[in-house]
Amino acid sequence: MIQADYLAKHFKDRKRGTFKALDGVSFEARAGEVFGLLGPNGAGKTTTLRVLATVLKPTGGTARIGGVDILRDPGRVRRQIGFTSGDMGQYGRLTPLEALSFFARLNGLEGKSLRSRLDDVIGRFGIASYANTKIDKLSTGMKQKVAIARTVIHDPPVLILDEPSSGLDVPASRLIEEFILSAKQTGKCILFSTHIMEEAEYLCDRIAVVNRGRVTAMGTMDELRSLTGKQRLREVFLALLGIEENAPGAVA
Amino acid sequence: MSAKIASVIYRKEMLELLRDRRTLISMVLVPLFALPILFGVMSLVLEWQQKEAERDSYIVAVNPACGKMMETVLAAAGFRIKPAAQARRAVESKAVAAALDVTVANGSKQYVVYSDRTRPSSSIAGERMSVTLAAMKEVSVRQSLRGTGISEQVLTPFTVRAVNVASERKMNGLLLGSSLAYLVVLLMFTGAMYPAVDTAAGEKERRTLEALLCSPAGRDEIVLGKVLACATASLLTAVLAMASLVYSYRYMRFGIVPDATNFNPLDPRTFSLILLSVAPISVLAGSLMVAVSLFAKSYKEGQSYLTPLLMAVLFPAVLGTLPGLELTPALALVPIFNVCQIVKEIFVGTFSPAAFATACAANLTYATLAFLAATRIFRSEGVLFRV
Repeated sequence: MIQADYLAKHFKDRKRGTFKALDGVSFEARAGEVFGLLGPNGAGKTTTLRVLATVLKPTGGTARIGGVDILRDPGRVRRQIGFTSGDMGQYGRLTPLEALSFFARLNGLEGKSLRSRLDDVIGRFGIASYANTKIDKLSTGMKQKVAIARTVIHDPPVLILDEPSSGLDVPASRLIEEFILSAKQTGKCILFSTHIMEEAEYLCDRIAVVNRGRVTAMGTMDELRSLTGKQRLREVFLALLGIEENAPGAVA
Repeated sequence: MSAKIASVIYRKEMLELLRDRRTLISMVLVPLFALPILFGVMSLVLEWQQKEAERDSYIVAVNPACGKMMETVLAAAGFRIKPAAQARRAVESKAVAAALDVTVANGSKQYVVYSDRTRPSSSIAGERMSVTLAAMKEVSVRQSLRGTGISEQVLTPFTVRAVNVASERKMNGLLLGSSLAYLVVLLMFTGAMYPAVDTAAGEKERRTLEALLCSPAGRDEIVLGKVLACATASLLTAVLAMASLVYSYRYMRFGIVPDATNFNPLDPRTFSLILLSVAPISVLAGSLMVAVSLFAKSYKEGQSYLTPLLMAVLFPAVLGTLPGLELTPALALVPIFNVCQIVKEIFVGTFSPAAFATACAANLTYATLAFLAATRIFRSEGVLFRV
């Protein structure tokens, strides 16, 4: 479903000169699979996801989503993906119904199909009781449900989630986990980045560790364990970054 | 580019704008109420000033050296006279509105009228005193002529009658057109300012832009939706400002036009022509403001970026109010100025269809260029993801 081939993204910065955010990132994520991107801050996770979502244009390489090239037909690529990130805001002056309806219309839904999709998503995520309340007035948990509903309003086969549980409490994070697992069961391809090791260990079928714009390791949990000789994902992750836990200067 | 997608974005933007207090204030309240209030207060102050000046202008000083005869004549003309040996000083110290002194120049008597032209009451008093003295001088000349046998007719070889060929509508149109064009154009830009900041920098600040960029909507469609929403806000501001200005003009007196209550400048034809001429300006305002505020990463920063643009608009708008400037084919190409002139000419009733078409075409071209610039900026990753 997602095929990234040598993705490169260079930014020009007055202070730093040319900065390589991505330096040949390649991986493949399949339908019905949860594929995790792990990496320290500034590793290139968000840039990778933004390039795949066609928000950023790669400097080199390309990717295909559902067989569609991100450079050749970005509009068609965006119809196939649902994208959300942990720090993404919402239209606070709109109600959940208005916001969902807006994104559904952008995805070409109208008339009966729009109404039936709205009913389905609002019912599935338990939004009905506050569907006509302005989003600004909702609790964090309620907003999170609206954000997820927005991501799947057009029933995309691919979900790209950038640190979706960042800053959320345990019940709200649980909601995200349940959403990812149920999406996986319906055959969707889920690509997500996270900092939370437990979450990645619990959800991901395969993981790619990204560091300094490159994929340094990729595989199932068992493959990564045997590669590093470590058990917990946290230890595996640190070993792949070349940082030994409890060593001087190690990340606590 | 899909018009359907752009219209979905436009409707969302309008819904958001209509729920934003700041936008509502700049788009509806300011044009609707600020101008009548401003003109109402101005009207009251002017009326009060005129009454004060009128009353004070009759208090004058006369140097006793001018003689009893002079005092009697001035008193008969309605002046309240205060004796003052130092006439100039009496005016400077504001003890009186004007003062009369007498000196001798080239062997003949010379009356000196002192007034302070910066004070309305003094200015009126000085003029009135000069007129009284001129009349007195004429009486004196006539009396002298009677003794010589020369006909008094020699003093009036011909008379002059000035006729203003401009109709009342034209006069009202000129007065209203000059102020209305300038204020409406300025308000159109302020009316588009908050919506532009809200839809561009505001969307960045609220972190909602990325969700929009990840949707199937293309960049051009997003910009079109946003620009059209700002243009609508700008046009709505123009319509409300025009309505409130015309109302203020008709029902509030400024001491300029005695009565304009029968003056109805916003007939359907005039209204349609003005709307047609300002419509491209609304798109220009929307595009420019969206383009500039895209560089900002917060609402506050967006406002700071747009303030110089408002200043830049002010200059050609003020030029457009200057009397005597006419819309030549070359000047019809100057944005903002051309629409101010066209609106003025539509009110006066002297507009030329060729100049109107040239100005509209020029403004439409500028609006298109500004829109293209906005779309180009919106495609720039450096601008959109500036941290």
